[in-house]
Amino acid sequence: MTSEPIITARGVTRRFGGLVALDSVDLDVPKGIVHAIIGPNGSGKTTLLNALSGASHADAGSIRIAGEEIFRLKPHRIARLGLARTFQNIRIFDNLSVLENVKVAAACNKPTPFFDILAANARHKQNETGIDSTARDALETVGLAGRADDQPSQLPYAQRRLLEIARALASKPSVILLDEPAAGMNMTESMTLLDTIAKLKSHGITILLVEHNVRLVMGISDRVAVLDFGKKIAEGTPSEVQRNPLVIEAYLGRRHRHA
Amino acid sequence: MSSALKRWPVVAASLAALAIPLITQDSYVIQLLNIAILNTIVVLGLNFVTGWAGQINFGQAAFYGLGAYTTAIATKSGLPWITTPFLSAIVVIAASLALGLPTMRLRTYYLAMTTIGFGEIIRLIIVHWEPVTGGTSGLRAIPGISIFGIGPEGQIQHYYILVIALALAILIAAHIRRSVLGRAMIATRDSEIAAEQSGVDTTRTKLAAFMIGATYAGLAGCLYASSIRFISPDSFSGTQAILLMTMLIVGGMGSIVGCVFGAVALTILPEALRFLGQWYLVLYGLGVIAVIVLAPGGLASLGPRLQWRQAGVR
Repeated sequence: MTSEPIITARGVTRRFGGLVALDSVDLDVPKGIVHAIIGPNGSGKTTLLNALSGASHADAGSIRIAGEEIFRLKPHRIARLGLARTFQNIRIFDNLSVLENVKVAAACNKPTPFFDILAANARHKQNETGIDSTARDALETVGLAGRADDQPSQLPYAQRRLLEIARALASKPSVILLDEPAAGMNMTESMTLLDTIAKLKSHGITILLVEHNVRLVMGISDRVAVLDFGKKIAEGTPSEVQRNPLVIEAYLGRRHRHA
Repeated sequence: MSSALKRWPVVAASLAALAIPLITQDSYVIQLLNIAILNTIVVLGLNFVTGWAGQINFGQAAFYGLGAYTTAIATKSGLPWITTPFLSAIVVIAASLALGLPTMRLRTYYLAMTTIGFGEIIRLIIVHWEPVTGGTSGLRAIPGISIFGIGPEGQIQHYYILVIALALAILIAAHIRRSVLGRAMIATRDSEIAAEQSGVDTTRTKLAAFMIGATYAGLAGCLYASSIRFISPDSFSGTQAILLMTMLIVGGMGSIVGCVFGAVALTILPEALRFLGQWYLVLYGLGVIAVIVLAPGGLASLGPRLQWRQAGVR
């Protein structure tokens, strides 16, 4: 864990009225690992992802991606700096084909001036070709290459989740935030998902994983941070975290320790 | 196979459009078709911002009017016709930029309200700036299309010019739909947050859709003034803005074919039902409601549904 962190968050705080959803959270995510964030319902996991990705800005704090300060940047700027994400409740573009969904993100750092599009010139064509191959590669990685021309509504639920991952991958990010990727998946589908996550890691992409299913997290994560009531209560390797009394208390309640 | 299936109706429709003047040369019919074509171009423009980018825009009729009045005023004051498409485009691009820049950061309903206000302002200016715009009686005897002294004569030649303009408008729209920008527009409509997190600048995308749409309307307005030769505030009122939106919804949001069906059907239908006298509005209204209830995807969604039925999918 000596490599420099790809995500450095300091004092990230988010309030919703009187509720402190994130209370001065610090987080360092080293490059190239699978880092999980776990915690009971309402502990602030998704709020933290939203703050990191710019979907819903933090009220205070500092967030750096590869050394670049992104606090309060618009989400598309953060995406262009190399941070992609998926959503807890799937957000697919239903009126685009499977391939086009991924192409949207594949265009992430390939801005085409309107004139080039209108003139349909060589630069436009070259750009579209590049976008097409990036998008097809991403579909290949998650195993959806055969469904490229289908509509997303024709995909089963688990494959829609994989489509979101392909879309995140297509923006060629250095970090992907996965928000409860296994939600609603059965055992076989979760296994496919784990394979996909391992594949992303082997591409050198850092994974920040928010997950409810603790067993799934422990098997694949290099590091785990635990949130409870908006505070980070523990961090370490999966086995360290599992033995941490504060974590056990957060998940099971105080009384169970004596039982 | 699917692309071949898609292609032949387009070829058939194009041939039919080109053959119409061989069947009828009734000036009333041709004039009506000319207006239908112009409305189609305006609705294609509306489809960028409303059908694809998902923003409600009631200002499209005002952009149509701005283009028409710019052209009429320019040519009547002696400028050569060739300058008018550029002038009309510049005016509507400037107006849509000024209107879109502050509102596109906000969500759907704010644009709807802003554009309603904008439409009313344009209408009031047209009605009250009488020395220039002719007020409620409009402008007559507008000089026609003419490039270095060569221009179309009679309605049938105008019809062919408008058919060519429509074909260009359709090709450009289809090209943009297949480009980075078209995908970004639909992504913005389907999920603004997912589009942003995929690197799409949604504010810029919405603004681009709004401005391209306004340009379509402005250029259609230019052609309206110089081919119909008479304009009045009624053609570009708030009622017209709602009618354009209805054409888009009845035809099928987001579908180029739908824009053509919707605009042509709803331009011709009121005239075709005129023999019913005052009752025509009742039938017209019922027809619109029937389409919205029975085919929520618009007329354009009926085609694929028939094909599925034949293939036994549904």
